[in-house]
Amino acid sequence: MVEKLGVFIGRYIAPLLSFLRRSADSTGFGLVLLVRTMLNTPFLFSRRRIRDSLDLCYSYCIGSFLVTSVVALFTGMILALNGGNSLEELGQESLIGPIVAVSMIREMGPFMTALILTASLGSGIAAEIGTMKISEEIDALRIMSIPPIRFLVLPRMVALTLVTPVMTIFAAFIGILGGSLVANSQFDVGWLAYRTDALESLEFRDVFTGMLKSVVFGITIATVGCTQGLLTRGGATGVGQAARRSVVVSFLLVIILGYYISWSFLS
Amino acid sequence: MIRLENVHKKLGGRTILDGLDLEVKQGETLVILGRSGTGKSVTLRHIVGLMTADQGRVEVLGQEISARHQAALLEIRSRIGYLFQDGALLNWLSIADNVGLPLRERHSMKEKEIQERVEEVLSEIELDGHGDKMPSEISGGMRKRAGLARALIGHPEILLHDEPTSGLDPISSSIINGLIQKLHGTGITQVVVTHDMRSAFEVADRIALLHAGKVIALGNSHEIQESSDPAVQQFIHGLVEGPLGRETSEQLEPDQPDKEESGLS
Repeated sequence: MVEKLGVFIGRYIAPLLSFLRRSADSTGFGLVLLVRTMLNTPFLFSRRRIRDSLDLCYSYCIGSFLVTSVVALFTGMILALNGGNSLEELGQESLIGPIVAVSMIREMGPFMTALILTASLGSGIAAEIGTMKISEEIDALRIMSIPPIRFLVLPRMVALTLVTPVMTIFAAFIGILGGSLVANSQFDVGWLAYRTDALESLEFRDVFTGMLKSVVFGITIATVGCTQGLLTRGGATGVGQAARRSVVVSFLLVIILGYYISWSFLS
Repeated sequence: MIRLENVHKKLGGRTILDGLDLEVKQGETLVILGRSGTGKSVTLRHIVGLMTADQGRVEVLGQEISARHQAALLEIRSRIGYLFQDGALLNWLSIADNVGLPLRERHSMKEKEIQERVEEVLSEIELDGHGDKMPSEISGGMRKRAGLARALIGHPEILLHDEPTSGLDPISSSIINGLIQKLHGTGITQVVVTHDMRSAFEVADRIALLHAGKVIALGNSHEIQESSDPAVQQFIHGLVEGPLGRETSEQLEPDQPDKEESGLS
């Protein structure tokens, strides 16, 4: 009996405890990393760091432009299609524009953009820094007295914090455009009426909520990606695990943080 | 110049360094030999403060490493060069940019002066004309030499080499050995971790053989070769049977979890 209990603990309980301990460790590490990166913000104002950050902004925008466009376009079309079918029965097709606009600006735009950037950029950051970790490049930076936070983490965090709102606005615009295609072609809503209704329905609070979310999501994705990259161990497998963990953790945090930001503005 | 006294270090519950005592004199080239997992690279990491001893004292350039604050540690590191096993070049920078990186990030030198110094160092290690290439476009031996150029660009007083000839063909190994000997002539203090016996006998003033986290033999090339210690003879002749055992228990050094290596400092 005691022997069976030992086997059970060894097989199921010990790995669970180990997982929980690792999760707590990486959460603590991530929070420390975020605070230390913020404390290093003054070092951003050098020509090299600004150039690094802008280069990253450019490559991040280019890297996520196409997929964001396609996903945003079809998300707007789906919102318009579903909303339109219900509103048509009530004779309220004119509300398609406001529904799509508010959804895209406040909720779907930031959320969808964050998921795309998590999958494409967050995992890339984790894999890039993870590879540098296992090939001793991070150690090389430390020995050269170049703090990895200033050299690697800060430009990535700044770039993602800037790129996420920009891509969110872009996604919202494309989504609203996609909605207009469906509203016009399937529910006979005129272009001008759609545009006027959509714009008039938007309040400052909607735009502010969407932008706040996108900034928080950008910081979250960058922090998680850098954290998982810096905690990488164990060769190529470790790099793969770091990329996978960065996606999973960022997804969870984006959804949870997104809910609480919406809740705080709606309540 | 470098002094390790009674240094103990455990990683992942296993003892790596077990009361290590070692001294490197100014201008000397000390080679550290030993089987995989005996603590050679861990010793180098203690010298540059990438790891701190659980117990014992590490003194470099007259200052105790384990007790240093971050700013003081950065100052000491700026006087040390480190050649990593695979060069550890940043793959998005050209060779010249990799070599010039410490000067661009640490010093307020003008760009023209940095470029001149980079060209000078690349010429010293026989890499002139390759500065514009990316790390992926050059051979393993050239990557190591580029790593050496980066380590040398700040005029270090101490140079640490981690497996400088591993994975290289005999000609590339000879080039690296030649560079280490040439540097010896400049008075720089060097510590070389290697498995390559030919290289060790070629470049060393003294050789230390590590086993189970301790120095079990120390002497010049001749003394080591003529040693009657069966452990020394087993290692230098690559004998399967002997006091060092047949198998190393584990390859511990690179993969052990250690919070100091997180990259935050």
